[in-house]
Amino acid sequence: MPLPVSRRVVFRLAAAVAASSIALPALASDPSQLVAGVAAEVIGIVKTKTGAARQAAILQVLQTSFDMPYMGRSALGTHWNQASEEQRARYLQAVATAEARAYSERFGQYAGQTLTLGKVSNRPNGVTMVDSRLNQSTGQPIKLEWEIRNGKITDVKVEGVSMVMTRRSDFNSYIQNNGGKVDALIAEMEKRAANQ
Amino acid sequence: MIDGVTKAMAAGIRRSVVALALAGTVLGGCASGDTGAAEVWDPIETPNRFIFSINRAVDIIALRPLAVMYRDLLPEKAQTSVRNVLDNLGEPVTAINEVVQGEPKRAATTMARFLVNSTIGLAGIFDVASSLGLERTKEDFGKTIGLYAGVEPENGGFYLMLPGIGPSNARDGTGLMMDYLVDPFRILTFNLAVDWDWYQLGRYGVSVVDYRSRTIFALDDLEKNSVDYYAALRSAYTQNRAELIRQKREKTDAKGELERRDNLALAR
Repeated sequence: MPLPVSRRVVFRLAAAVAASSIALPALASDPSQLVAGVAAEVIGIVKTKTGAARQAAILQVLQTSFDMPYMGRSALGTHWNQASEEQRARYLQAVATAEARAYSERFGQYAGQTLTLGKVSNRPNGVTMVDSRLNQSTGQPIKLEWEIRNGKITDVKVEGVSMVMTRRSDFNSYIQNNGGKVDALIAEMEKRAANQ
Repeated sequence: MIDGVTKAMAAGIRRSVVALALAGTVLGGCASGDTGAAEVWDPIETPNRFIFSINRAVDIIALRPLAVMYRDLLPEKAQTSVRNVLDNLGEPVTAINEVVQGEPKRAATTMARFLVNSTIGLAGIFDVASSLGLERTKEDFGKTIGLYAGVEPENGGFYLMLPGIGPSNARDGTGLMMDYLVDPFRILTFNLAVDWDWYQLGRYGVSVVDYRSRTIFALDDLEKNSVDYYAALRSAYTQNRAELIRQKREKTDAKGELERRDNLALAR
């Protein structure tokens, strides 16, 4: 009776394939689902909310899907170690506010942008990079790369320009030009946050 | 006789200046080390910041308002045509760079684009070549040097703020000079001894306004969201150029690039 055997084998193979095809994409597409979720959320916010409400909603997204403490720490570089606990807390608060404001102003009015997800690549060091393209109604699409660690977004690169790296250079230079004190940077950022 | 000697000396000096500039690029590349984009090597920061403040003053008073008017008042189609003409004039330099980069096929495509657009496309006003499937590429000598230099693409030698042009570095500054020297349009006007200074000036002026009109949004954003605009721009420029060079390198050595990136991420 060769037929039932082969049928059983076929069934087992099919089951195995089905199981793996369910399990593998679920594992691999987690980071891209995270990115797609964030994009959908942000587009929804930009479409419906403006002003302070928009900024609060964006801050909410940043705090749930982004690893803000990690990003803040990287942006401060070596100055993080010199900062006291109180300074760190104030600094992280100021950065979160600045980031939320930057994003809520950056998008302006929704103009039909869509996000196309691309290649997902896992690095041996535990970092996952998700490539994507922001399509605009006019002009060239913008290349966006998302860096994900432990299920949270830790950096966004726009045309190769990393947000965290740029902030780090910016902050470092400001601190150096103000007597090497982290306090100067925190004061400046708090002043800016209060101004608007 | 004396005249001949002076001429020879002058040529010698000119040659050694070029050699010095190239050597400076290479040595500068070595000295700065591979630190990534967070710390851009900027040994002449004080003069750079001085030039930057003048550039910004000119930008605020004249260039940015002009670019805003250009963007908002000129019809979209006219802007596209202007861009097409400028792009078309730049194709020969791109083709030369592609030859030096070891991509003769790409260079041939670029030259085909140039021939099609200059004739059927009415001196480049219409980008007919793209609809024929000839894809546009843009290369410059800074990228060519970056492709062959055995250093991190973030490392372009010392950072340099150029008057009127903006952010650059030893690598891209040298590249800009090379692009200017090999530009067939410049050589042609020089050899024909035609006074085409106005043409060159016009081309430069229009391309500056066109380029500025496309960077209004990004630069406004960067300025508003940084505490030290100079440093933020320095970092963003370096990273963006590095990305372009990396894309070129990845075509030839994808696996090596990925491994290198991992090592960099680990070190960070």
